[in-house]
Amino acid sequence: MRIAVCLKYVPDPGTIEVDPLTGLIAADRLLYMLNPADESALELALRLRPPQGTVTVFNVGPVEADRLLQEALAAGADAAVRVWDSAISSTKPMITTILLAAALRAAELPDLVLCGGHSVDRGSGTVPALLAEHLGWPVVTEVTQFEMQPDELQSGRMRVQRRLARGARAESEVTLPAILGLETGLVHLRQASLPSLMRVKHTPIPLYGLEELGLSPQDLHFPAMTLHEVMPPRPRARVMFTPDCHRSAPERVAQILSAGVAGKAGQILDSGTPEQQADAIIDFLRQHGFLEKSP
Amino acid sequence: MTALPAKEQFDVIVVGAGPAGSAAALLSARAGLKVLLLERGEYPGAKNVSGAVFYGSAILNQLIPNWWEQAPVERYICRRDIAFMSPTTAVALDFRCAGSGYATAPYNGFSVLRPKFDRWLAAQAEAAGAFLLTSAVVDDVLWDDGRVVGVRVRREQGEIYGKVVIACDGVNSFLAKKAGLQREFHAHELSLGVKEVIGLDPAIIQDRFHLTGNEGIAFEYLGAITEDVHGGAFLYTNRDSLSLGVIGQVSSLVERRKRPYELLERFKAHPAVAPLVRGGKLREYSAHLIPESGWAMQPKLYTDGLLVAGDAAGFCLAAGLYLEGMNYAIQSGLAAAETAIAACRRGNFSARSLAVYRKHLKQRHVSTDFRAYRHAPSFVNGPRLQNLYPEMIARSMEQIFRVDGAPKRKILPLAYRMVRQSEIRPGQLLRDAYQVARAYLW
Ligand SMILES: Cc1cc2nc3c(=O)[nH]c(=O)nc-3n(C[C@H](O)[C@H](O)[C@H](O)COP(=O)(O)OP(=O)(O)OC[C@H]3O[C@@H](n4cnc5c(N)ncnc54)[C@H](O)[C@@H]3O)c2cc1C
Repeated sequence: MRIAVCLKYVPDPGTIEVDPLTGLIAADRLLYMLNPADESALELALRLRPPQGTVTVFNVGPVEADRLLQEALAAGADAAVRVWDSAISSTKPMITTILLAAALRAAELPDLVLCGGHSVDRGSGTVPALLAEHLGWPVVTEVTQFEMQPDELQSGRMRVQRRLARGARAESEVTLPAILGLETGLVHLRQASLPSLMRVKHTPIPLYGLEELGLSPQDLHFPAMTLHEVMPPRPRARVMFTPDCHRSAPERVAQILSAGVAGKAGQILDSGTPEQQADAIIDFLRQHGFLEKSP
Repeated sequence: MTALPAKEQFDVIVVGAGPAGSAAALLSARAGLKVLLLERGEYPGAKNVSGAVFYGSAILNQLIPNWWEQAPVERYICRRDIAFMSPTTAVALDFRCAGSGYATAPYNGFSVLRPKFDRWLAAQAEAAGAFLLTSAVVDDVLWDDGRVVGVRVRREQGEIYGKVVIACDGVNSFLAKKAGLQREFHAHELSLGVKEVIGLDPAIIQDRFHLTGNEGIAFEYLGAITEDVHGGAFLYTNRDSLSLGVIGQVSSLVERRKRPYELLERFKAHPAVAPLVRGGKLREYSAHLIPESGWAMQPKLYTDGLLVAGDAAGFCLAAGLYLEGMNYAIQSGLAAAETAIAACRRGNFSARSLAVYRKHLKQRHVSTDFRAYRHAPSFVNGPRLQNLYPEMIARSMEQIFRVDGAPKRKILPLAYRMVRQSEIRPGQLLRDAYQVARAYLW
């Protein structure tokens, strides 16, 4: 069984500093690390690897990422491939996955590809699905667990557990070759021994450029989804409970002390036209902050 | 690697990639030795702290000609200020030198940011052929027949063997203690330095400190800033930031129940300092120990198969006017490398063979400097010299310049009254004057 793991080289969030003078991230103070979800993926691949199996790690990134691939080799990966070319101007998921798919093909297609589901820098979560599209393979995302019994290894099937919304889990089965997108923080990568760490220090990492991959810069240029902006979720303004100003002071105090309980008595709309009733409902919702107030 | 006999994988194992370790590794590697440089940090310098003005430019220049052209230096220091402070006053001695060696190559000192500088220096050692391994915490020394034969890294199969181990693991050296060369320190022998880097526009720095181009200034402060904690403060200019910090003796911090960062805040709020840091933005905060007692803290510097250099050997001159450790770290690292090279040539790594380390330290003026200043630390770091006298000087000046309709007093009666008020006996004063003179003058 041949397993491929895609590793991304990401800035360590702990080292991100915004230069107070320029307002830009201080690039010379950034340290890079292996994306945490990819770290789990590598460890799980090493655990899954049967005696005759291999684990090959792939990365699309600049030469600095060799260090990370060397560390993967020290931890036990059998081979590593880095993809880079001076013509690569972006590591958008769309482009990265074209390159990864080509590299996987060039290195002889594996039986299983493991990816971290999300990266800590871009975090689009689209790489497993895009890769599946390029390879025409099935993909399972949000994977929390997977296993393969010896007989399943024969038949090329794999049992996979997925995380669903609100803590629900789904058990499913997928036919290989396939791609799994793994959740972050499932397991920690094993620590490399001193001898293997020293051995990999000067291990050269094979580099695939566009030519080796049979691609031209044109293949990386096409209208694709463009990310314009990422916005943080904006919480809805909370409406403070204010007592009814038409009431007397003691009543208002009582209203406040009731902490809104008394105010929830409700009102039955049994008169007026349906339009009026609808307006009353909308007014009510506006007043209580469920709808935005009209300008 | 497996081809080598298991017990001698390396000629030299250097522990710690600070200035001492990288210098030792660089020189040994250049001599053709097989050198392993072990560093616990994710990269060399990741957590290393200094002020930092590096006063070893000329030393490094012999090793790497015109090193400042390629190294991440901030500003060359051609101005130094020593300020005596009372809570509201500062009296400063301003030294400015545009002459050769200060404002021209090889320069006297450079302000540096340690994470960048240490990383660069370690890369030079690597380029010379040393094998640098980061994320490698050394947690023991390996013995064979009463001699050190290697170290253990906290990893699977972490034993690694070498002919000589050079311990450059910094203040409170774990290795020197493991090898039985160093005793436990007393709290009065250690100081805690807390430091901030504050971002400031280069143009503002130039205006504010009257600097042109890449000139830099180093301020040292004595007196009331550390209140009744024995210590001092510093402020150095970097290219687009200031490094400033407060240094306080650990025992008096504990006794007086003072938190170091409170002292730092007080220092920044002092009327003589606040305008210098105004408008700056905090970039980083760090803290580190400093071995203050110099001579008295020195461990045995070598044993069979092991040498100690840098802060690990107590080679840090922290005595009032001086706060120099990086230059001595490099000098002692080089002396240790020279010793290791000679021992490799002789094929003898016994303590007797390594004893030439003393001679090399002398030639590089490390041990001679520390001998010369052996009286300085215990006294200079005492309360009277670090805090009381500087404050008295500041207060006297306040009196001398004051014009308030009261009769003008001459300086001597004024000083006399100042001494009377301070409860110092005149005999004490004379003895202190003698001690200052002995510490610095001869
Ligand atoms: C606040 C402050 C200001 C200072 N200002 C100045 C100044 O302006 N000018 C100056 O010259 N000096 C200054 N010094 C002193 C100077 O920082 C030190 O003297 C100098 O750093 C000593 O260098 P070193 O190489 O001996 O030790 P360090 O720089 O401490 O390096 C020790 C290295 O060993 C590594 N290490 C430690 N233990 C282990 C282990 N078990 N395994 C593996 N690696 C290990 C550490 O990670 C580190 O990289 C200052 C110190 C402080 C705290």
